[in-house]
Amino acid sequence: MFPGLSIPEMPLAFPLGGMDIAFYAVALVMIVTAVCTVAVKNILQSAVFLIFSFVGTAILYLLLNAEFAALAQVMVYIGGVVIFVVFTILLTSHLGEDSFSAKIPRLFAAFALAVAFVVVMIKCLLPIESLKEGAVASPENYAGLQQMAFRLLGYDQSGFIIPFEVVSILLLMTLIVSITVARRWIPDDYKKEEEEK
Amino acid sequence: MFVPSVTNPIGDFVRELVPQVAAFLPASLQSDTLNSVVAFLINALICVVAVCLVNIGSAPILIYMERKVCAHVQCRLGPMRLGWHGTIQTVADVLKMLFKEVYAPSGADKLMFYLAPLIVLIGPFIVCALIPFGRNLVVADVSMGIPLIIAVNGFGVLGILLGGWSSNNKYSLLGALRSGAQMISYEISFAMILLFVVMISGSTNLMSITMGQEGTIFDWWVFKIPVLGLIAFVLFFISSTAEMNRAPFDIAEAEQELTGGYHTEYNGTPFAMFYLAEYIALVTNSALATTCFLGGFLPPCIGVAFIDNYLNMVPGVIWFFAKVYFMIWCYMMVRWTFVRPRVDQLMDFEWKFLLPVNLLLLVAGAAYIALVG
Repeated sequence: MFPGLSIPEMPLAFPLGGMDIAFYAVALVMIVTAVCTVAVKNILQSAVFLIFSFVGTAILYLLLNAEFAALAQVMVYIGGVVIFVVFTILLTSHLGEDSFSAKIPRLFAAFALAVAFVVVMIKCLLPIESLKEGAVASPENYAGLQQMAFRLLGYDQSGFIIPFEVVSILLLMTLIVSITVARRWIPDDYKKEEEEK
Repeated sequence: MFVPSVTNPIGDFVRELVPQVAAFLPASLQSDTLNSVVAFLINALICVVAVCLVNIGSAPILIYMERKVCAHVQCRLGPMRLGWHGTIQTVADVLKMLFKEVYAPSGADKLMFYLAPLIVLIGPFIVCALIPFGRNLVVADVSMGIPLIIAVNGFGVLGILLGGWSSNNKYSLLGALRSGAQMISYEISFAMILLFVVMISGSTNLMSITMGQEGTIFDWWVFKIPVLGLIAFVLFFISSTAEMNRAPFDIAEAEQELTGGYHTEYNGTPFAMFYLAEYIALVTNSALATTCFLGGFLPPCIGVAFIDNYLNMVPGVIWFFAKVYFMIWCYMMVRWTFVRPRVDQLMDFEWKFLLPVNLLLLVAGAAYIALVG
């Protein structure tokens, strides 16, 4: 079809049994929800489809034995980011009354751009030899909480103790700052008025 | 061929039983792969049925209990007519609810409207699967129990926000926004207390958190760490009450102000699902409190061998449910005793009191572990 593209034999048999079937099922759901995210006219609905797409990503991480990455995905994206997106959407008025639609020439350009992007991506991905064997799951517990924590808090060359401490101090600072911001702050002239009364 | 398996003594029993039964089948149906797949499916079915049984089965009991506790707090009798002391009343109510017509208000976003109750139910069901009900009675004995519980709590907020918005009703939207803000705020202190439990027990697995409290009643995390454990337990009680949107923190569905909040427009089965989610959350939060602080399925031994022998004879499940129902009774008494704070008071309480106290508690716990244990 395209010059320079030779499609290698894809592993369509299910050598891993249940895991393979689970992968294809999750991948299908992810693709459908991702398409729905951009195709649906109501922004709140697209936020919901985005969530299901994220859940699919988390399940893919789980299938690869990367438990901590999966949980972080759910915690950060679903519990945090998307909730705030939904909050923002709820607070905007006139939701879904006049849906956004692009003009035809722009639509065509977007379509051409998307197809070009997919072609380039496939062309870059296909020469990779290890793709033929499929993704390799990390060994059991390698990306689990305990191993992850040992690597994060390691003192030696492969450890990440200093970045970890810096980030945790930053997060603690934001928490304390939020407490300080939430405290009631009364302007001085307002206080004087109160005293005069 | 790789088939995932359910690791459990009951799972082992099924795995042994299936090949024995399969031996009676025609030879063409006999293969190890088929046997393991069938065994896995049967095990998965047992797990699903067990979780559903605990969750859906406890809802009518809790509704009956709530009515009785409420009635006795208010010097009434509560339901008395149907069955012995009104015990069949809830069954009748549930049947009535299920047979009602289901419809959405005009102008509502139908997809979101019917999706919201389903999303709300995700969190409690996943949490229930993680809780050890007995030495061998746990559906998913995962190593990252507590982070998973914190992670799936987000679904509750999402379902409530969607339900409130899609109802196309100002009261619902206001209720949803209030409850979303409340749940997001209290989630922080909820997660921090669970972090404290993880810190003192040194594990995120709920089974090993329970087993860390083995011994007498004074080895439970409430009492094992002097004062700090009790403070953490009380803070957990407060923040989980707010997390569940129960009174006194039920501004989300304050009847007098919002005519029911986010589920104003719901009726029939979708409303029953919101209701169910609320009661399942009550069970799972009580079970979490039991597991993290009250020794889970361990009997309350007091160190006297004569009495302890008798206490140890009672199966762990019974101790577990006794503690869970004690916790539920506490939640109900709080609900019918205290008055509801205003929205701003509620937020102030979280951000100005609970959160700083939680941070201090974490520091104190770390100091305790470094100095004593």
